[in-house]
Amino acid sequence: MSGLTTPEAVAELRHELRTPLNLIIGYCEMLLEDATEPGQRGALEQTLAAGREVLERINATVPPARGEISEADFAALRDALREPQGRIVAATTALLAAGGDIDPQFERDVRRIRSSAERLLTVELPSGRSASHLAITIEHPTAGPLAGPPVQPAHILVVDDQEDNRAVLERRLRRQGHTVESASGGISALGMLAKERFDLVLLDVLMPDLDGLAVLERMKADQNTRDIPVIMISALDDVASVVRCIERGAEDHLPKPFDPVLLRARISACLEKKRLRDVELEYLREVGRVIQAATAVEAGSYEKGALAQVAQRGDELGRLARVFDAMAHQVRAREDRLKEQVAALRREIGEARQTTRQAAPQNALSLPTGQLFAGRFEVLEEIGSGGMGMVYRALDRELGDQVAIKTLRPELLQDATLLERFKSEIRLARHISSKHVVRTHDIGERDGIYYLTMEYVEGITVRELLDTRGRLGTAPTLAIASQLAQSLVAAHEQGVIHRDIKPQNLLLDAAGVLKVMDFGVARLAGGNANLTEAGMIVGTPSYMAPEQMLGEGVDQRTDLYAVGVVMFECLLGRLPFEAGSAIALIARVLRDQPPVPATLDPEIPPALSDLVLRLLAKDPAQRPANAAELLHLLSDLS
Amino acid sequence: MPKILLVEDNEMNRDMLSRRLQRKGYEVALAVDGLQGVTMATSGGYDLILMDMSLPELDGWEATRRVRDAEAGRRVPIIALTAHAMSGDREKAMAAGCDDYDTKPVELERLLGKIEALLGKQA
Repeated sequence: MSGLTTPEAVAELRHELRTPLNLIIGYCEMLLEDATEPGQRGALEQTLAAGREVLERINATVPPARGEISEADFAALRDALREPQGRIVAATTALLAAGGDIDPQFERDVRRIRSSAERLLTVELPSGRSASHLAITIEHPTAGPLAGPPVQPAHILVVDDQEDNRAVLERRLRRQGHTVESASGGISALGMLAKERFDLVLLDVLMPDLDGLAVLERMKADQNTRDIPVIMISALDDVASVVRCIERGAEDHLPKPFDPVLLRARISACLEKKRLRDVELEYLREVGRVIQAATAVEAGSYEKGALAQVAQRGDELGRLARVFDAMAHQVRAREDRLKEQVAALRREIGEARQTTRQAAPQNALSLPTGQLFAGRFEVLEEIGSGGMGMVYRALDRELGDQVAIKTLRPELLQDATLLERFKSEIRLARHISSKHVVRTHDIGERDGIYYLTMEYVEGITVRELLDTRGRLGTAPTLAIASQLAQSLVAAHEQGVIHRDIKPQNLLLDAAGVLKVMDFGVARLAGGNANLTEAGMIVGTPSYMAPEQMLGEGVDQRTDLYAVGVVMFECLLGRLPFEAGSAIALIARVLRDQPPVPATLDPEIPPALSDLVLRLLAKDPAQRPANAAELLHLLSDLS
Repeated sequence: MPKILLVEDNEMNRDMLSRRLQRKGYEVALAVDGLQGVTMATSGGYDLILMDMSLPELDGWEATRRVRDAEAGRRVPIIALTAHAMSGDREKAMAAGCDDYDTKPVELERLLGKIEALLGKQA
């Protein structure tokens, strides 16, 4: 024995069964009093007989003296009612289909008999298990046909123009633990959907004002309601409209009369599907948040705790978010620390800089300060000079912004092929997007002078830093090297090799952020230029890789060699190879092994020393494969 | 023509039973819940009351008690109607002040017998 009910529940069950039966028998007897046509009388008599049979079976299963019923007995009763109930439905359907002049009152009464018969099979075993039987029920959870999995409580909207149907559904759904609202038509249903959030809608297909299909279409067209699952309610014979509704996004359909077991199962399935979909959507949204965070880390704008919500998840995604957040925070802290160290160095030499700068001799490349150049640049001051030309700070009157102008020695640009190659390199360089790269704006020519305009960065060069401080120490060297590596990752991604990485080209701005200048510019010094020919050497060959000196192919690893030289110099305050002349230097670079940094200064960590030596390898294949790998190796050292 | 007050919340039950009683020659007035039933019953003029027991607002037992409490002289016969059909219901109905008791589905001949018996007693 299992699933026994209380006497109150049995009384309620009797009430539920006898109320429709009262209508079947009552209306039927009344109609028989008037019916004269033999066919009509026959159908009514069959109906009445079937109704009395139903009553007998109910009385046999739940006689007045009985205070309990098992789920198995109730299931057996339902099965027993199916046959006479079917006869009532068939007989009344035949009466309604007879055609001819049916009296409207007669037709209405017959419909009431039929709907009451339909209701008979929708009766459920009322809840209200007696406490003494609870334990038994739990021990046999699958005992009865009505013992399904518990339904998760939901807020459900029932839309049906027939009051009876609404009442039956509302009662059933409430009994299953749901909260229910109902609407008597499509228009009022849409109004309620706009105001209130529902988990599920039960929608009648045939309604006078706005039918179920139209309501469904409007729901699916509205972003706020499109995800609410809809179960269509329809008569069994209306297959075509059910198909139309399912094609337009209805989740399921429920035939009338409502079978309570089917109702429970379908609603359960529907809510479970929605729950799984919601879980999946939420998962995807959170994956999106992690991806956003990764983008923010790249842009340097990640804030600790931005993933707090995702990090609360108990699954793998939550773990990923927690690890990611911690890592991003560590990286950020390390960068901040390094920047602060560089900024401190910069401050230290800020004043010295003013005194070390020497005025360059006036020549053809000089731009007179205080005058307008190329019709738009107001030249403010000279800020540097080098092998290629002069550098000025100027105000771009068209953009109202400060720029740096670099004039280029005309002899560098005499070869038309070289000039073209240079221009295309500059175009490429303009596409490099990194906070560690000084942006190149444009290339122009005025009165035979070629010039480049670039982002103006108020800063000092690593050259100035080295000249003032000598050696910089491990931490600042790592800070410079890792930012330099980041700039190379961005440039190499665009296919731009710098070719002339050296301390003069590395600017530190006021915040200690390293910015690399002259991407693309060194192209001018490339080609077949003979390095030993006077005037053709750009800068010094101290930072050049062997393959570059030999005029062999250069690639991204050529820049990595230069990084090695810069790091060597930052750590030790001297170059790896020193010689009295350019030729002697080249010979040493090609022939000699560089000194081991850790031997020269025991303070230098061996791993860092090894990395510098790897970068200085004569064979590019012995160096890190690319800037990203270098960045990775550097991060292991910080 | 005897006048019956039918207190019944179910619209179809009201429609069916009132029409059947009218066909048998009774005048039928309708109340849709217990409160309305008590109000109409105590305003007088009915020869008999058919009281459904499961009613909203005020159930049939309580409505019957209130009708009995309000009555000063003449006692209107009340027949309780219920679909619960529990043993003990009859006793409960009698205790509340009903004169008779019947179950749904209503067997009209049986109900009419009870109505006539009570009206005859009155007369």
